[in-house]
Amino acid sequence: MAGIKALISLSFGGAIGLMFLMLGCALPQYNQYWPLFVLFFYILSPIPYCIARRLVDDTDATSNACKELAIFLTTGIVVSAFGLPIVFARAELIFWGACALVLTGNTVIFATILGFFLVFGSNDDFSWQQW
Amino acid sequence: MSGFLESMRCSECVDWGEKRNTIASVAAGVLFFTGWWIIIDAAVKYPNMEEFNHSYHACGVIATIAFLMINAVSNGQVRGDSYSEGCLGQTGSRIWLFIGFMMAFGSLIASMWILFGGYVVKEKPVVYPGIAVFFQNAFIFFGGLVFKFGRTEDLWQ
Repeated sequence: MAGIKALISLSFGGAIGLMFLMLGCALPQYNQYWPLFVLFFYILSPIPYCIARRLVDDTDATSNACKELAIFLTTGIVVSAFGLPIVFARAELIFWGACALVLTGNTVIFATILGFFLVFGSNDDFSWQQW
Repeated sequence: MSGFLESMRCSECVDWGEKRNTIASVAAGVLFFTGWWIIIDAAVKYPNMEEFNHSYHACGVIATIAFLMINAVSNGQVRGDSYSEGCLGQTGSRIWLFIGFMMAFGSLIASMWILFGGYVVKEKPVVYPGIAVFFQNAFIFFGGLVFKFGRTEDLWQ
């Protein structure tokens, strides 16, 4: 039951983040759909960590080089998701207000993804460990 | 009331010793990719050759190769206390690391040279691309140092 509650609250967070992203794109005074490219970063961001977790059996060591490389790459993807709208705004492709909305959406979405890993990555009663 | 706070120790809530490698990896990632986004921003703002010569990108590429070379060998390999010899052994890893650090310092020095020789001394109207090249290389260099020396290899055993 705790898993269901966490799942519902996390999906609410994801919906809020996507709402901020779409607001930055679709408000009539902005009306530029360039920020939708950050969706690629949302999809890519969990992939390095999932690969590292499948590749390494972390039974005895608290950390290892492969996992740290995965964290490094994940950080890079997150930084890129914040950098792309700022570069769009500096290139005067989108307005700074739209950029701020996209950055807010980024923060909410990445907090949701992090929460997903914290909730479902550790406990054993939810058998989604095979990811 | 006395001894109320004795049972509370905040350093034990989160074990920072075990989190050290994670924090160092995150910090290195932030530095490295911020550096690259700074140069992307400069390239987007000044696309023509007069304001931002395209050959200045070579500096950041060398710094990135140096970043990969430095972090490809572990500290244990250089000290010689790893289990396997590897393909070239301890001497090979030392030479590899030496070349990597030489490229890292070289790219940092070259970026300063670009900033001063290409923009400040010539008194160009737009100095921002030179500053962007310098900050890109500085961020990549310090990201490499954090990724190399911020992590401890004791946690791998």
